[in-house]
Amino acid sequence: MKNPLIKRVPRELISDWHRYLVIIVFMVIMIGVISGMYVGHDSMLSSVYAGRDELNLEDGSFELSKRASQKLLDGISSGERADVRTYYIEKGTKTADKEVAKAIDEKLNEQVMNIIEEGVRAQCAAFGIADEEIIKQQIDKAVTDSFDEVLKQVKESEEYEKAVDEAYEEAHEEVVKKVDEEWDEVSDRYSLDDPDFEPVSVNIFEHFYREESEDNNNDGVEDANVRIFKSDAEIDKASFNQGRAPEKEGEIAIDRMHADNVGVGIGDTITVGGKKFEIVGLLSYVNYLTLHESNTDLMFDAFGFDVAMVTPEAFNKLRSRIHFSYAYKYDVEPQSKVEQADYSDNFLKALITQTLVNDNEIEDYLPEYLRQASNFAISDIEGDSAGTSILCYILIGVIAFIFAIIISNTIDKEASVIGTLRASGYSRSELVVHYMTMPFIVTILGAIIGNILGYTAFRNMAVYLYYNSYSLPVCHAVWSNTALIKTTIIPLLLMFFINLFVIVKKLQLSPLRFLRHDLVRTRRTKAMRLPRWKFLRRFRLRILFQNMPNYLVLIFGVIFIELMLCFAFGLPDSLTHYAKEAPSMMFAEYQYMLMDHLDDDGNVIETSEDSAERFSMTELLYPKNRSSFREGMGSGGDESVTVYGILADSSFIKLDKSSDDNSVNISSAFAKKFELSKGDNITLNAEYENKSYNFKVEGIIDYDGGIAAFLDVDSYNRIFEKEPDEFSGYFSRNEITDIDDQYIATVITEEDILKVTNQLMHSMGNFMDVFKYALIVLSASLIYLLAKIIIERNEHSISMVKILGFRNSEIGSLYIIPTAIVVVLFSVISFVIGYYLMVWIFHIFMLQMDGYFAFFMKPLSMVMSVLYLLIGYAFVSALDFRRIQRIPLDVALKNIE
Amino acid sequence: MKEFLEIKDLKKSFGVGEARQDVLRGMNFTVKKGEFCVLLGPSGSGKSTLLNIIGGIDTPDEGFVSINGDKLEEMNEKELTLYRRKHLGYVFQMYNLIPNLNVKENIEVGAYLSDNPLDVEEVLTTLGLQDHKYKYPNQLSGGQQQRVSIGRAVVKNPDILMCDEPTGALDYKTSKEILALIEDCNNKFGSTVIMVTHNEAIKNMADHVIKLRDGVVRHNDINENKIAAADLEW
Repeated sequence: MKNPLIKRVPRELISDWHRYLVIIVFMVIMIGVISGMYVGHDSMLSSVYAGRDELNLEDGSFELSKRASQKLLDGISSGERADVRTYYIEKGTKTADKEVAKAIDEKLNEQVMNIIEEGVRAQCAAFGIADEEIIKQQIDKAVTDSFDEVLKQVKESEEYEKAVDEAYEEAHEEVVKKVDEEWDEVSDRYSLDDPDFEPVSVNIFEHFYREESEDNNNDGVEDANVRIFKSDAEIDKASFNQGRAPEKEGEIAIDRMHADNVGVGIGDTITVGGKKFEIVGLLSYVNYLTLHESNTDLMFDAFGFDVAMVTPEAFNKLRSRIHFSYAYKYDVEPQSKVEQADYSDNFLKALITQTLVNDNEIEDYLPEYLRQASNFAISDIEGDSAGTSILCYILIGVIAFIFAIIISNTIDKEASVIGTLRASGYSRSELVVHYMTMPFIVTILGAIIGNILGYTAFRNMAVYLYYNSYSLPVCHAVWSNTALIKTTIIPLLLMFFINLFVIVKKLQLSPLRFLRHDLVRTRRTKAMRLPRWKFLRRFRLRILFQNMPNYLVLIFGVIFIELMLCFAFGLPDSLTHYAKEAPSMMFAEYQYMLMDHLDDDGNVIETSEDSAERFSMTELLYPKNRSSFREGMGSGGDESVTVYGILADSSFIKLDKSSDDNSVNISSAFAKKFELSKGDNITLNAEYENKSYNFKVEGIIDYDGGIAAFLDVDSYNRIFEKEPDEFSGYFSRNEITDIDDQYIATVITEEDILKVTNQLMHSMGNFMDVFKYALIVLSASLIYLLAKIIIERNEHSISMVKILGFRNSEIGSLYIIPTAIVVVLFSVISFVIGYYLMVWIFHIFMLQMDGYFAFFMKPLSMVMSVLYLLIGYAFVSALDFRRIQRIPLDVALKNIE
Repeated sequence: MKEFLEIKDLKKSFGVGEARQDVLRGMNFTVKKGEFCVLLGPSGSGKSTLLNIIGGIDTPDEGFVSINGDKLEEMNEKELTLYRRKHLGYVFQMYNLIPNLNVKENIEVGAYLSDNPLDVEEVLTTLGLQDHKYKYPNQLSGGQQQRVSIGRAVVKNPDILMCDEPTGALDYKTSKEILALIEDCNNKFGSTVIMVTHNEAIKNMADHVIKLRDGVVRHNDINENKIAAADLEW
C-alpha cells in the first residue's frame, strides 16, 4: 500500500499556494537571474574563446612601409635573424669599392697626364723649344698618342698595385668600422645579439587594410574613421551577428556595436571613402572585440571608429593608401605567458633584421597577447562576475533562512498531526521524508523553471548586456557548471540539510509533546508582570512577548532584506562614487607615457614644461589567495600592480623614505584590498618572466585610484636593472606641447579616466538595474512571507478573540502594531547591520576582481533602503489586515486542544 | 481470558521542587486480552498520563508496563514505534485528523501502518461513513470526525485500542453512537479496549472498570453486568 500521506503534497501545494508561489517566484528569480548571468557570462566567454580558433585569430601582426617581397616573407616565416652586419658590410664594401675605383681612376689619369707632360716638356727643353703654345700642342699630341701606353706601364708597376691594394684595404676597414658602430647601437637597442635567441617560425598571412572616412547619414560630413578589410581574409575573420559577408562591390559589413551606436542597420546605405555601400552584415571581428583604434588608446571608441569588410574588388577600388599589414601565427603555440613573451621577443628580432636586409621598414608591430582590441573585452567579462557572486551568496543565505523558518513553522502548525501520526506508529524517518517532500518539490520546481529561464530569457538578457558593451561574436549557450552548482545544487543541498536538521531536531520531541503543542524546550514558568497600562496595551505587550521567537525570525529576515537592499542601492552607488572620484584620484593632471625615453636620434626626450617630472613604470603581479570562491573561467588571475619609480623629492607623490633598499610605498587601495600595513613584506612577480621581487612596505600613499607601488627612482633603476637616465614618461600639471606625438604612447588625462569610468558604468550599470529590481521583488517576497508566518502562528488566538467579540480593527491593532513596531524599530538597526555585512562581503569579493573600489552608499540610498522596507511592510500590513479579517471563527472552535 | 496487559508499581511525577506533582503514585492492575477496560477518574487523577504510558508515548519514573510479556521500558525508541505501529490504535478526545486528506484517506493513514489491516470500505460501512468518505474533515461534524478518528485506529486491527476521552467533546447522542462503535469494534475485531473517561455512566458498558484518584487505583472491578452502549444513560 502506498503511503496515503503522499496525497497531501499536491493538496498542500494548492491550498497554500500563496506561500509556495512566493517561494517559487523567489527561487525562479534567484536561480533565473543568477544562472542567467553565469550562463550568459560563461557562454559569452566560451563563444569568444571558441571564436579565437574558429575565426583564426592571429598570434600577432606587423605592418610594413611597402609590400613585402617573397624573400622577406620567407625570411620572417623562418623566424631566423638575418645577418644584418654582413649585409651592411657587403653593401658598404660594394659602395666603397666603387668609390675607391673611381678615386683611383681619377688619380691615375692625373698621374699619367703628369708623366706625359713632364716627358714632353723635358724633350722640348732638350730641343730648345720654349714656345708654350707649341709645348701644349706637343703635350696634347703625346696624350693622344701614348696615354694608353703610359697608363698600361703605370698599372703594371709594383708601386701602383701596392697603392691600389692599400686603398681598398683602408676603405674596407672604414666600412667595417662604421657598420660595427651602427650595429652595436641597433643591436643594443633591440638586443639583436641575444645569445638565448631561438628562432620562432611562423605562418604569415597578408592582411592589408585601408582606412577611410565613414559618413553614416550621407550628409557629406565624416562621422567616423573606418578600417576596411577584404572579405577573403584567411586570418582574423569575422563572426556575423546579423546578415552576411559582402558579395558584391557595393556591399559592406560593419561592426555590430558601431552600427548600434550610430543607428544604422542592414539595408542602410553609408558612404565610405566617397563611395556608397549598402550594409549587408553586422559583424564582430575576432581581433576587434572592442573598437580600439590604436593599441595605446586607454579606451575604445565605438562611435568614432569602425571596422568593416568589403569584397576584394571594392577594396581595390578604394583610394586611400593600403596599409601593408601582415598577421602571423606561430607554427608551435606557446604554452605559457613567459613563453608567449619569449616568442614575441624572438620573433621581433627576426622581423627587424629580415626587414632591414630586405630594404623594407616596420611601421607597426603588436603581438596578440598585448592587443587591447582582442583582450580588453575578455578580461573585462572575466572580471565582472563578482557582482553576481555576491548576489548569489546573499540569496543562498536568504533561501536557507526562508527554508528554515518555513519548515519550522510547518512543524509547529502540524504538531497535532505529527503527534497523532507518531502515536499511531509512524516512524521518525517516515515523517522526515513526508515533511521533506514538499519543500523539495517546491525547490526542484523553482530550480527547473529558474534554470529554464536562466538558459533562455535571463541568459539572453545577460548576453544583451554584454553586447551593449562590446563587439562580441554570436553567442551560443553553453552548459555552466558554476551556474548549476551555485544556483541549483547549493540551494537544493541547503534546503535538504536545513530541513533535515530542523525536522530531525524537532522530531526528537516525544509524540506527547507534539500532541500537547509543547514544542519549546525551555518554557517561562511565570508570566512577566506588566505596568498598569490600559488593557489593550498590556494585551499587545503580551502578544509581543508571546511572539518573541517569531519576532526574532522577523528581525533576522529584516536584516537579510536590508542586506539585499544595501546591495541593490549600494552597488550602483559604489560604482558611481568611484566614477566620480576617479579623476580626482589622479596624481597628475597629465600622465604622458612615452614609447621610449630616446628619440630616433638616440637623444633623451626632454620637455621645457616646468611642472613636468620624469617617472618610470612597470607592471608586476601580486599573488592572490587561491582559495577564491569562484574558480575556472573568469576567476581572474593575480592582481596587477603598477610599480612607479619616482623622483625622491617628487612634487606629485610624497614618499616615506627608508634606509632599507627594498622599501616600497603602496597605494591606499592596495593596502585596503589586501589588508597590508607598514612593515609588511610583499612579493611581486613579473608576468612574462620568471622573476620575483621582495619589498617591505614603508608607507601608504593616499591613492585609491589603483593598485600601485612607489619606489624612488634610484631604487627602481637598481631593482629593475635600468640605466640611470631611463624613464617611462612624464607627470605634468600642464599639457606638454614640445614632445613629438610619435614618441608619446599614451596621455592619461581626466577625460580619459572619465571615459573609462563611463564605460564601466555603461557595461555594469545595466546589470545593476537587473539586480536592483530583482532584489526589491525578493525583499518584498521575504517580508510578505515573514509577516504571513506571524499571522498564521496566531491564527488560533485571533479566531478566539474574534469569538470573544473583539472587532477586526482592535485585533489588527493587537497583532499588526507589535509587528510594525518591531519592523520600524529594527529597520534602522538592521540597515546598519546589513550595511556593515555588505561592506565586509564586498571586500571579500573585490579580492576576486582586478583593481579596487570600496563599498559606498549615498545618504539618500541609505534612507531609501529603510524606506523601501517600510513601504513594503506597510503594503504587507494591509494584506495582513485582510488576512486577519478572513480568519474564520471556527478555527478556535474546531481545534481546541 | 489471559492477562494481556500488566501495570506494575507505576509512578510518574511532573515538575521539580515545590512545583513537583506526583501524577501516578504506584499503580498496579492487569487487563485481559479482548477486555473492554475503562479507566475512570476525575480530572488530574492521572488517567491520561497512564494511557500515554501504556501507549508508549510517555515513560514512567518507576514501575513498568508489560504487554504480552514484553516490558515497554526495555524497548528502545525504534521498538516502541514498532510497538505502536503494530499493536496500538489511538483515539483522542480531539480527532487530530489530517485536514487535507479526505475521510477514506485519513483511515488509510492507519491501514498503511498495519501488516493485516481491515478492509477500509468495511470499516467505513461499520462507522457509517460511506456517504462521507470523500469529504474533508472540515466538512464533517464533531461526531463524524471522531468516527473517522476511530476508523483510523481500528483499521489497523490493533491488539489494543487506546481511547482518550473519545466523547469528551461530543454531545450525548453522538457520544452514545461513538461508544457503540467502539463497542462494536471490540466485539467484532476482538481488540482490547482501554478507554479513559471521567463519565461514570460509561463504566457500565465495560468488562473491567479501574477507578483512579490522586494517582492510585481506588477500585479495580470486573463488571459482571455490563450493558450495551446504546442503553447507557447519563
